Amino acid sequence: MKKRVVVTGIGIVSPLGCSKEDFWSNLIHGKSGIAPMTTLDLSPYTCKLGGEVRDLKPEVHLGSKGLKYLNKGTRFLGSAAKMALNDAKLPEDGSLSNQMGIVIGSSLGNFSETTDYFYEIIRNNPSELSPMLSYDVALNSSINYVSVIFKIKGLARTISAGFTSSTDAIGNAFNMIRKNMAKVIVTGGVEQISIDLYLIFYLRGLLSGLNGTKESSMPFDRERNGFIMAEGSFIVILEELQHALERRANIYAEIKGFGNSFVGGKKYSMDERIRRAERAMHDAMEDAEIKKEHIDLISAHANGCKIQDSIEAKAIRSLFGINSSNIPVSAVKSNIGEAYGTAGAAQLISTIMSINTSNIPHIINYSEKDPEINLHLTLEKPLEKEIQNALVNNMDYDGNNSCLVVSKYGK
Amino acid sequence: MSKIVITGLGLVTPVGIGIRESWESFIHGKNGANDMKSFDTSQYKVHRSCEVKNFHLDVELENQIKENTIHKYLYYAAREALQESGLLYGENNLNRERFGIAIGTLAAELTPHERLMRRDTSKKDNGFDKIVAAVYPPNSITNVLAQYFQFEGPTMVSLNACSSGNHAIAWAYDLLVENKVDVVMVGGGDMIPQTEFTHFHNLKALAPERCQPFDKNRQGLMIGEGAGVLIMERYEFAKKRNVSIIAEMAGYGLSCDGFHMTAPHPEGEGAVKCMSDALKMAGLQETDVSYINTHGTGTPHNDKTETTAIKRVFKEHAYKIPCSSTKSMIGHLMGAASAVESVVCCLVLRHGIIPPTINYETPDPDCDLDYVPNVARELKVNHIVNNSFAFGGNNATTIFSRMG
Repeated sequence: MKKRVVVTGIGIVSPLGCSKEDFWSNLIHGKSGIAPMTTLDLSPYTCKLGGEVRDLKPEVHLGSKGLKYLNKGTRFLGSAAKMALNDAKLPEDGSLSNQMGIVIGSSLGNFSETTDYFYEIIRNNPSELSPMLSYDVALNSSINYVSVIFKIKGLARTISAGFTSSTDAIGNAFNMIRKNMAKVIVTGGVEQISIDLYLIFYLRGLLSGLNGTKESSMPFDRERNGFIMAEGSFIVILEELQHALERRANIYAEIKGFGNSFVGGKKYSMDERIRRAERAMHDAMEDAEIKKEHIDLISAHANGCKIQDSIEAKAIRSLFGINSSNIPVSAVKSNIGEAYGTAGAAQLISTIMSINTSNIPHIINYSEKDPEINLHLTLEKPLEKEIQNALVNNMDYDGNNSCLVVSKYGK
Repeated sequence: MSKIVITGLGLVTPVGIGIRESWESFIHGKNGANDMKSFDTSQYKVHRSCEVKNFHLDVELENQIKENTIHKYLYYAAREALQESGLLYGENNLNRERFGIAIGTLAAELTPHERLMRRDTSKKDNGFDKIVAAVYPPNSITNVLAQYFQFEGPTMVSLNACSSGNHAIAWAYDLLVENKVDVVMVGGGDMIPQTEFTHFHNLKALAPERCQPFDKNRQGLMIGEGAGVLIMERYEFAKKRNVSIIAEMAGYGLSCDGFHMTAPHPEGEGAVKCMSDALKMAGLQETDVSYINTHGTGTPHNDKTETTAIKRVFKEHAYKIPCSSTKSMIGHLMGAASAVESVVCCLVLRHGIIPPTINYETPDPDCDLDYVPNVARELKVNHIVNNSFAFGGNNATTIFSRMG
């Protein structure tokens, strides 16, 4: 018998604020977390905007001792994890240690700090560098840090799968609790803006504002031309239902299903990519034993890329048929940008907040309909609607498609 | 519940290219350490590591994958493993959407990046160019393998430092048991980035000459490079294809020390949980285990802690189990280590020979188990425990068994 899995805690470090309350309030009021980047020197390049984390005070969450050794991503993840653990009111005395795990998605982790360290190596005498310089430079060192400070002893795992990293991590954590391998798992993602990551996207032509186009995060809009990069850490506490009930935890929602498919490289046709995207959604609903007629909200991957948004829209249309005119579609990347390895976790949290408040944030920066996008987009103002079941889509530029089904908790 | 079996193996190691050459070296106790060639070590106190030697791929692929040889190591090992399992030249009636990939690595993306950064040190981002921007994120590994071998199912890259390979295997095992896929290509690959070399060097964790696990005078680990790949599939699927079965993957255990960023828990708490959970999942008693492929890095801390943990789990029986460290020959392959060692475990089951711990000279009272010193041993083996305990406390143990 599979265990049921619920969400009992939320932690957020985001361009829209560093608390659950700020994030949601900004999102539902249609605010944008995107502004000219201040942490990178982008003078040689044409794309200038980003969703940077601006108001994090890590010392509030992690204390100031040893903080100087921690990289940006570790501060993000540490702070978000702390908020989530507090929110879930989990005991901090280590009594749950062996029942607790951490599974985090991160595409490039502390990569930028790792290359900074290498820069020190080639410019100096490497054998004279302090070991503390490399204290926090492995791609998964932020996860190790969190496991150490919160005494997590069940398991620690880091998954790297490009844009779908955090959805894959949450799906994996969900499956582990379902199989009773842990009672509580800290899961979600972390990703940070750096010149390295910026250039990867810039050189691959994925950013908005290239070649004289308008620079804006405008998912599904006719003029969309790429994404705006973002950073942060979005964390949820997944917990086995019985365990949560016994300690009278506040239950935000229930995770019911996970599905993923892979296109495998870039040689596939549009039709094939649409079919695979459809399959991931289908598999997640099948896993959740929820019929497509019962989906009340779709949180779209939609990050403003010309082709990928269109693939997703067509996949939704094809899977849900005529019924897709009735299912509201949200795209929170219009507000926060593309947070890469933690984007799926951001969407999941937004969806959970919608389930709890019966309110769906609208897509901002939208002005002109694209005839290729035939969906019931949530536009102009938030949509009040009771939501029982929602689908969260995460679809990678490289071909990973990962989806979660999240539902209102009911006995 | 379906059994999960291994039907193909592939290796690229510092002591051989391919399974045959590597295995010959393993059972003859060949030392893979060499003077470092990948980069200039004149400013360091240590100048040795275990590098892959004489590695060439077919010309065609050399041209296609120029930038990053971790892809090449993995490509080679994957092709060898797929060939053995009969899945290389895809039979048309198989549903390749049920073929997944899971690869572990510590720092796959670093080496090509370092190469470019060395070109121009005046400004950090001067070294970038289009080609590298397109290949180096960790998930590029699975993208490349998926493309070449037409694997169209779920993929995953595990970044769990030195237990990455076992994590990938555990992930694959779950997916196969849940019947979400028929086949998973699992493995690990790593090269020797100067970044990691410096990191270990400045932590004083590197051995100067050779790797001596469990020896009283052990001085540290040696970094190695290479790749290991296993083809895991559902038993029914393998049977239907009428392919020979090398071993059964019987279970795994995971844990996390939650103790320190670089030091293991002194009582081996995480290691104990991890081995015990693995035995439980595999439904085995302690006395069923006939060989342990240790994490055995050769650092003073690890070897002592691991010995303590093994004794805590296996009690009196611990003294009767041969425990060797293949890292004595090939060094520590980091993210690839536990994948390569899993391949070794399957070869032990196949050949009934246990590879030795070489460079073993002086017994250490803190490490008093049977480490199979210096000479390989013939032994019929039924169940093998394969340990990996990473920096930061990410632990993963896998168990491989003779097919009953």
